[in-house]
Amino acid sequence: MTEETMDTRQLIIDTAAKMFADQCDKALLDAAERGEFATSLWTLIDDNGFTKLGTSESGTDAADMYAFIKECGRYAVPLPIAETLLVNSWCPAAEGVFSIGELVNTTSTGASVLNVVWGTQARKVIGVSRDSHEVIVVQEPQAGAVSTNIAGEPRAEVHGSGHIVEVKDDPYAQLALTRVNLMAGCLARVLELGIQFAMEREQFGRSISKFQAIQHSLAVVASEVAAAQRAADAAVDALGTDRFVMETAASKSRVGEACGFVAAEVHQIHGAMGFTHEHRLHHFTRRLWAWRDEWGDEFYWQDRLGRALIENGADNAWDFIATRG
Amino acid sequence: MSLLQFDRVSLDEATATLRQEVREFIEDNRRHLPRPNSDFATGHDPEFSAKLGAKRWIGLTWPSEFGGSERSFFERYVVTEEILAAGAPVCAHWIADRQSGPLLLRFGSQAQKEAYLPGITRGESFFSIGMSEPDTGSDLASVRTTAVREGDAYRINGTKIWTTDAHRNHYIICLVRTDAPSEDRHAGLSQIVVDLRQDGAQVRPIANMAGGEDFNEVVFDDVLVPLDRIVGEPGNGWQQVTSELGYERSGPERFLSSFRVFVELIRTLEDPTQTPHAHQNAAVGRIASHIMTMRRMSISVAGMLEQGKEVAQEAALVKELGNSFEKVLPEIARLAAPDRAPELFRRTFEETLLLSPSFTLRGGTREILRGVIARGLGLR
Repeated sequence: MTEETMDTRQLIIDTAAKMFADQCDKALLDAAERGEFATSLWTLIDDNGFTKLGTSESGTDAADMYAFIKECGRYAVPLPIAETLLVNSWCPAAEGVFSIGELVNTTSTGASVLNVVWGTQARKVIGVSRDSHEVIVVQEPQAGAVSTNIAGEPRAEVHGSGHIVEVKDDPYAQLALTRVNLMAGCLARVLELGIQFAMEREQFGRSISKFQAIQHSLAVVASEVAAAQRAADAAVDALGTDRFVMETAASKSRVGEACGFVAAEVHQIHGAMGFTHEHRLHHFTRRLWAWRDEWGDEFYWQDRLGRALIENGADNAWDFIATRG
Repeated sequence: MSLLQFDRVSLDEATATLRQEVREFIEDNRRHLPRPNSDFATGHDPEFSAKLGAKRWIGLTWPSEFGGSERSFFERYVVTEEILAAGAPVCAHWIADRQSGPLLLRFGSQAQKEAYLPGITRGESFFSIGMSEPDTGSDLASVRTTAVREGDAYRINGTKIWTTDAHRNHYIICLVRTDAPSEDRHAGLSQIVVDLRQDGAQVRPIANMAGGEDFNEVVFDDVLVPLDRIVGEPGNGWQQVTSELGYERSGPERFLSSFRVFVELIRTLEDPTQTPHAHQNAAVGRIASHIMTMRRMSISVAGMLEQGKEVAQEAALVKELGNSFEKVLPEIARLAAPDRAPELFRRTFEETLLLSPSFTLRGGTREILRGVIARGLGLR
């Protein structure tokens, strides 16, 4: 990696962090959960060119794009930004809010796509299915029933006629990789909240961060969070290689596994305050619980990864693991 | 790199060639691996160590002046992980290569380096660690073994315990009190080399619950050693042991101890006439996802060592993750193995399970590591 690409990435991360710290506050998250689309934040993101990250015209690469997605996770940005970025990288040209869901049905009258993130807002929707490099682009999506995931993020059923586009790196795994990075960013934030609360909260005449029980809890949380960052980066680095799906499998599984533990521990540290709606913690922990299930939960990816290892044979297991990257 | 952000490090082409050489070496030396076991503390085979020494794979990063190969920490990492993953017997040279040698290189005198390091790199000279005592475990600064200067010698009295392979190795580097305890409990400690075969220390093996006799009690009853056995400045022992522990805590031995159980689990499932259940696949995949991640973190720390950085906190974090998972791995494998699993799986599983309580004790208990990480987080 050259110094220049590192600088570009850091600039993206810093700019995004500042933008989200200013704009993506609790009020905005609450409004999003009431179904209000964060139009002004979207416009700001778009105006800053962040919806084009990863495209050649933007002078950034996929790793920059995923670094940005990680920041979105850190701030729980309630927008279909990861989906729009993928749509732009798969079929460039158009402008606007795009989204992606699971392709369940393609007939002569059109395609049905489920769990489309902010599907009611999307000008273009793509349906993705497991184990296929072909995706269906629905140009004039008709939104049907809307439900929400456990984080209160809207997930719509969408119908419409579409055409096929071929995607190079396994598209389902790319979606999984967006969740990996969202989770990695969000996990880091949840740890920060835990540390901050532990230092501020006083009991028995001192900050609870001075108690060994709390220190050890946060130490294990930090270890999981550090593992999640490294696992996420590894899968991003495998983009464009024949290891991409397997690295994503390992990554989605490993990062997903961290989520339940980290959410539970940091809630424990926050006590009853973190259980209130007024506290911001649940915006992050509920997303961890949601994202680990989206685009293949741990079991799905472990099954795929394990099958590959078993087919590869016991005596090649180490070779499978000991890659250079 | 911060405590939470381990650098993306990709191993280079040189390591790929070296990796291949190590694999060929292992193939040529299968007779040294009758019962492969990835736990670094088992399998003491001086002949195997001498063969590694002949390949110049001990002291890989050390200067050639002392028999080292002047290669990178990444190359050392690759040799280490390949040998461990294969389950080769590494225990004889392990401590000398991992920490006694680096300690002597960093703090030892020129004469000490010349005296000890070439033998280590040849795989002929083996070291033990003299830190724990009967009343000193995690609270290392409380050691009571004394080394009192008398003319041109130090007189050593006290007892070291849990000393792996003291009955097989040549030297022990002991943490001792050279000055009486004072208000600064880290002051007055020194490290001193004792020749286990010449100086008159009494070594008594202690059987462990896994049926091995690997660790020992080492008693020093008026043992006299020359003054030049002190490593570094007298009184600097605490700084030295804490830096030494960084080397001890981040390597692949901290997540590969139970690796052979994983290999044998896969072997029980690879019968082409039987399709494994999804839960069995998932068990294999789950274990792999952890090992792949920890391995990359360990390589990130090798990158820090290569840059000459302090790694104490990162190493503690890798060890915490690694040791915890080394214990979970057999638990996952146990429930994923088929009924009436082959003997090889059962034996590998049982041997590892019996060793597993030690994984989160040796080299710094889980509790101590979590304290180190908490300090890194600014909590203490």
